[in-house]
Amino acid sequence: MRRRTLSPPAPLLDPRLRATIGVAFSRGDAALSFASLLQAIVSGALIGCFYALMALGFSMVLGVSRTLNLAHGELVIVGGYIGYWLWAGSGLTPLWLVPVAAATLLPLGLLWQWLLRRVPEPRELNSLVVTFGLSLLLQTVIRALWQADYRLIADPMLTASLRIGLVSLNVGRLLAAATALLVVALLWLALRHTRWGRAVRATSLDAQAAALLGINVDGATRTTFLLAFALSGATGVLFATLHYIYPAAGVELTLMAIVLAIWAGVGRLRSVLAAGVALGVLEAIAVAWSGPRWRETAVALLLLGSLLARAGGLARGMAPHGGGHA
Amino acid sequence: MTVGLASIAATAVLMALPPMIGYQPYYLYLLATAFVFATLAAAWNLLAYAGQISFGHAAFFGAGAYAAALSSLGGLSPWHAIGHGGAAGAGAALLIGMASVRLRGAYLALATLAYAEIGRGIALNWTAVTGGGAGLIGIPPLPIASWLPARLSRPRAASYYAALAMLLAVLALFVLIVRSRTGLAFSAIREEEERASLLGLRPLGWKLLAFALSGGFTGLAAGLYVHMVRVVEPDLVFNRYYSILPLVMAMVGGLHGVLGPATAAIGLYLLSELVLHPLAPALHQAGYALALILVVLCWPGGLTGLISGSRRAHP
Repeated sequence: MRRRTLSPPAPLLDPRLRATIGVAFSRGDAALSFASLLQAIVSGALIGCFYALMALGFSMVLGVSRTLNLAHGELVIVGGYIGYWLWAGSGLTPLWLVPVAAATLLPLGLLWQWLLRRVPEPRELNSLVVTFGLSLLLQTVIRALWQADYRLIADPMLTASLRIGLVSLNVGRLLAAATALLVVALLWLALRHTRWGRAVRATSLDAQAAALLGINVDGATRTTFLLAFALSGATGVLFATLHYIYPAAGVELTLMAIVLAIWAGVGRLRSVLAAGVALGVLEAIAVAWSGPRWRETAVALLLLGSLLARAGGLARGMAPHGGGHA
Repeated sequence: MTVGLASIAATAVLMALPPMIGYQPYYLYLLATAFVFATLAAAWNLLAYAGQISFGHAAFFGAGAYAAALSSLGGLSPWHAIGHGGAAGAGAALLIGMASVRLRGAYLALATLAYAEIGRGIALNWTAVTGGGAGLIGIPPLPIASWLPARLSRPRAASYYAALAMLLAVLALFVLIVRSRTGLAFSAIREEEERASLLGLRPLGWKLLAFALSGGFTGLAAGLYVHMVRVVEPDLVFNRYYSILPLVMAMVGGLHGVLGPATAAIGLYLLSELVLHPLAPALHQAGYALALILVVLCWPGGLTGLISGSRRAHP
């Protein structure tokens, strides 16, 4: 199998698993066996839950502040590097590092909010420009701090796999998917049933009207940014257990987050989850069919196709007439 | 008028520079690269003048770079190869322009980002033509003009003058466009696309023209650049760097101005390479990012806006 020279293909399936599936999974083999197709769908669905979790931060920021954060993927990667760094230094179980990485990103959340609220109209375009700069800044800092090497939190507990019938499930993926489901459920409850949730939903629908009604729009926006950044940091650690991370790895994550925001609309948690699973399964089938070389290109193509199909109506929750409810 | 005189004087100084400083390959290379970036910034600004903000000029740059490298390796003279680079850049830009007619503003920007990624993917995976991740090496340097005085005919001097000529060409074209009906059409589409089309302009044709011109000059710059660095790799020529730097330079110089983007490009590039790079080699690109953020948030008008006192001009 020919490999890309510059970067090892991110292992969608870990090598041992790939070996058990055998020849049918090799690149360019259109005749997928039933077992390998099933395997691709199941692991795709698991990683898809994780993609939904990863995209939540982007979608939340877009909802409350009408800004597109192109540095989202880089923020996730920063969380991943912090997790890797602590894991390599301390040998702690990666799970303990999740809250640490989440907390480290909180100050960045405040900084981003401070910067993005100053963005002049048209907000979508100008926020893209500013966060394009921020993504370059973060990539430069990551490269300076951690060099351009490939890192993976290869904890033996997480790389083990369970075998159920025809498919084998990677423990790390199961854990990531379970976390995603838990977080989405909690967030859904919070948005539905708390005062804070109502304030956030009102702000996403129409910040001006919400402010007129006496809702603390600034407070809701700030807490949403903090929560979104904490989530991004946390998902970064999980991501580093599933995939190799490198300074430019965030680009693809940002594109995925935008694709999910287009597919699901903003603030629709259940749709985000469904879209994430769809993306994960599509990706897994594409990789099973054509090999991992085209993975990043496939994500870019998906983004392009989704943009053209929606012709600009990115976020239903963003428009005043849309529905921002969960 | 004074601007015209000043630019003629600046051109004369730049043309006389190599013989004055003697044969300094490093500085000639640095200045030539600065001119390449100035051309990119001016080409980007040309598209922005028609209201289209691109986050994906790396797609045009990469297409131009590969076309020029392949032509040159195939035995064409470097000048022809650079021309092919320009044609490939214009062709890629036309395709991309046609494919994204329906997108505007932020959504067009996102789509161009995706196009650049797709271009990189093709270059990485179409190994038979592009050499895959390893890229193509052994691209010949620009030929030496033996009829010039010895001091001017060294390889680096050739690329210096070629880059300067290309920069002057794109600036001259920009001036011609701004003063013509084409420029009026571009700015009408930029300011009020619906109203412009109500008045009988067809936005599609004008937008495609802007795309083709911008992509063409980007491809030319890329073609010249590969003959300076003499290697192409997907991660080198489709790098996001070539999407973001023209944007930074044009915004810092002031959108829609003629000289601002090119001046800012030369200034920022030299500042980054001569001052920031020695100070903090790993972090010197952060300078571009900070400049961009500062300009958007604090001086939306860039240098031109600061000088003329207006604070308008956002994308």
